[in-house]
Amino acid sequence: MPLDTSTTYPLTKLRLDGRRWNELRLLQAQISTNPASSGSSYLAMGNTTIMCSVHGPAEGRRGDATGGSAGSSGAVVEVDVNVAGFAGVDRKRRAGGSDRQSSRIATTLRAAFQSHLHTYLYPHSTISIHVSVLSADGSLLAAAINACTLALVDAGIPMPGLLCGCTAGMSGSASTPRDPHNDELDPLLDLSLPEEQELPFLTVGTTSSIPVGENAMDTDEEEMKVSMLNMDSKVHCSYVETMLAVGIDGCKQIREIMEGIVKGSKRLR
Amino acid sequence: MSAQRQASSASQTPHISPAELSYLWSSLALPNNPIRPDGRSPTQFRPLSAETDILPGTNGSARVGFADGTQAIVGVKAEVEKTVAAADVSSLSQRAQEQFGENQDGEGKSSATTTGHGSWVQMSIEIPGYRDDDALPVFLSEMMREPLVESVSSGGNADGEMAGGLKGRLVINRRWHWRLYIDVLLLSQPLSYPLPLLSLTTHLALLSTKLPKLKSLGEEDPFFDDDWDAAEYLYPRSQSRLASALQLRPPVTLLVISVGENVIFDPSRDEIAVADTLLAISVARDGGSDALKVLSIRTVDPPSRLTQPGMPNAENPASLESAAVAEQAVNGEEIPGVWRPRRGGVKRNTVAKMVKLVLQKGGVGEEVLEGLEGVEVG
Amino acid sequence: METVKTKDSAPGAATRPQRQRQSNELRKIFLKTGLIPSASGSSYLEFEPSPALAAARSTPKSLIPPSSALKLACTVHGPKPLPRSATFSPNLVLTTHVKYAPFAARKRKGHIRDASERDLGVHLETALRGVIVAERWPKSGLDITITIIEAEDDRWWGDAPDSHDAPWGMMNVLAGCITAASAAIADARIDCLDLVAGGVAAIVSDGDDAAPRLVLDCDPAEHWSILSACVVAYMPSRDEITELWLKGDGSKAVLSADDKRLGNEALLDGAVDAARGAHTVLAEAVRESAERYAGLALGGPAR
Repeated sequence: MPLDTSTTYPLTKLRLDGRRWNELRLLQAQISTNPASSGSSYLAMGNTTIMCSVHGPAEGRRGDATGGSAGSSGAVVEVDVNVAGFAGVDRKRRAGGSDRQSSRIATTLRAAFQSHLHTYLYPHSTISIHVSVLSADGSLLAAAINACTLALVDAGIPMPGLLCGCTAGMSGSASTPRDPHNDELDPLLDLSLPEEQELPFLTVGTTSSIPVGENAMDTDEEEMKVSMLNMDSKVHCSYVETMLAVGIDGCKQIREIMEGIVKGSKRLR
Repeated sequence: MSAQRQASSASQTPHISPAELSYLWSSLALPNNPIRPDGRSPTQFRPLSAETDILPGTNGSARVGFADGTQAIVGVKAEVEKTVAAADVSSLSQRAQEQFGENQDGEGKSSATTTGHGSWVQMSIEIPGYRDDDALPVFLSEMMREPLVESVSSGGNADGEMAGGLKGRLVINRRWHWRLYIDVLLLSQPLSYPLPLLSLTTHLALLSTKLPKLKSLGEEDPFFDDDWDAAEYLYPRSQSRLASALQLRPPVTLLVISVGENVIFDPSRDEIAVADTLLAISVARDGGSDALKVLSIRTVDPPSRLTQPGMPNAENPASLESAAVAEQAVNGEEIPGVWRPRRGGVKRNTVAKMVKLVLQKGGVGEEVLEGLEGVEVG
Repeated sequence: METVKTKDSAPGAATRPQRQRQSNELRKIFLKTGLIPSASGSSYLEFEPSPALAAARSTPKSLIPPSSALKLACTVHGPKPLPRSATFSPNLVLTTHVKYAPFAARKRKGHIRDASERDLGVHLETALRGVIVAERWPKSGLDITITIIEAEDDRWWGDAPDSHDAPWGMMNVLAGCITAASAAIADARIDCLDLVAGGVAAIVSDGDDAAPRLVLDCDPAEHWSILSACVVAYMPSRDEITELWLKGDGSKAVLSADDKRLGNEALLDGAVDAARGAHTVLAEAVRESAERYAGLALGGPAR
């Protein structure tokens, strides 16, 4: 019997690493790890470990197309993702330059944070984010979003709220329409690498503004906004809603953890 | 930007005015008693923080943070690989001889199994803001790989386990060997020439590197003990703490500058900017004796050659007393207090002095190696 | 049956070339400037082929030539204005580019520069930047391109590929690059402090029991193993080194009895002596270049 989630999960209702469907992996993070940058963070979601450092807002490089005219209305966010050669199980062989996976993550991060941050406060400047993936065990994009958010908070760059990312998937291939009477597939939260390779999943990033004024007492349920959504696996459309709901719920849990990290950090500004 | 970056291999030239450069140079060049901007003595190093075994997914890893806030992470991964048969004349003829008579086959085998190949150690360096085929990462990785594969301890070691140096350690048997990937990550843009940081981090990462214990024997296809606790260190440890000074360690590369007559260690970015010479010296302990030995020396292009020259008052049209001193300036002589980019090279005795300061008993090299031995590994 | 114990003289195999020069005797160097008219300065350099090559030609034991000798061409373009997009530079911006021809070495090299070629470029840049009086050309660039037509061997071709695998041939190549580039820069009439010449010395061992000794201008194919080698770029009139690249463990070298020097110091001095020898050839080539230039200026025939 192959040891994969789609065969073992229906029998045990436990995933390969022993989690239940709605459990996150252990999330540990730290901010201000690198004094040589404006803001930095270290984040570990299970065995996925990411270090992120932010430089800026600083004057854009001259002679660079993005630094000059393009940034006149607000800061330009630059993202550079580097997946270390030792990050995976096998050492990755690269033929020079960056590979497709890391450049895709970089593009997504750039788009997400360019619209998320209050860039209009810093015209003609560049905010550069450098992400190093030290070990990769699934949910790379989500972990990178969380690490970037923490580093940007550390750098003191204004944003409407924390941008948190999480993955959600289904416990089977989910290629047939969902049967409402006999629901044998469960949604899964926060996928690890073996699960990602086997199951359909999506990455969702949500944000919500910090409640202020008269709404301060309300729960921010209505304020929750999805600001990033990425899926590139095939799944029947009737499952998307479930996956999205579980993902958004995971983002909420991650947000609470991250708020605790930010508030608990000793760095005073 | 890119042309400038290509041109200067020794990191970017910092933006210091010619007047500041001149001031810095003359205080560092004070005979016998240089005054460094941070008040250190010429051989004093800046404090650093280090930890090892930080990444469970690697065979060995280390993180070092320098006082200026720059950090590096090194991960070492090892893979088993098939040795390409060495189809050379001597082994062909040896095979021919073995067919004639089996009398000398033991000797032939032992010589074939103790040597390794330098290309089995691969090193790649990631520096933010640089492509990995830029001049700086390529030069740095060659500079660090060279002493590493070169450091063959010629006999002398008691257990003889590292007989062929690191290369020999990677040999499993005639047909199989380990391939070592050393990936160096610099976590932020370098503030000064990153060589010492990367070298120290690599040293610690290699020290903490473990390879699974081999269970197969001789020329069998290798298989390994599953138990990670039984794994053996790449650089074998002797059991007694007393002999720890004699145990084999990877080489370290030190950055040394000379300013005037003075030799200064662990230079900061500003000090490098005015250096007359910049040398990278790799040292390791000799297997047999306790002394240090040089494994490689490289000159690094000092950025002082690319700095902007100062303008003496005499040539300055804005100053009033121009004509009076004009003659002496035109000849291109050194005028005290006016910065000129460094030209020319280094005298031989300066090189010898730098090497001696590193190598001598109780010198800087020993101090650094002892400091690194203090780091708890594993 | 008696088998032959020595490693090289196995039955039916080719033999390793032997060094026939004295340990302090250099190979002859051919150096000529101004061969490429479209460049502002150029030079061509060739090392004397090993006598083993001629011997192998006359009485071939193997189809593979026993040794190779360095041949390279150097061109200098500039000083020329930097591109408009470049930042201001108060000095001449030097760009060095070292490329092996695909057929230069025994193993084919690709068309994209690999790590060792980039490494050579950086070494060459360091060697030359200390010599050129760079502040006389603000806002200008100088491109130095070296094509290696035939490279030095890293080892004898018959040796096992792991016997001494460090690229020792690269060091001879670098020394040749430095000398040739210096001639080409002088041919391009660019102000220098001095002519800079490259030299190599090595500590070699010719067998298991032979004591390691110092030789100048070593051909890696001629030696059983090389323990340590050193390249310098040396300016004789100032007695200064602009580039030093030493590698290997030279601490086991056996020098003469009254020699108190350390292995690395002896290597450095040896490399400087080799560079002094190369400098005489270099000075001759540059004089030729100057005479040709003077002839051009007077309106006489170019060559």
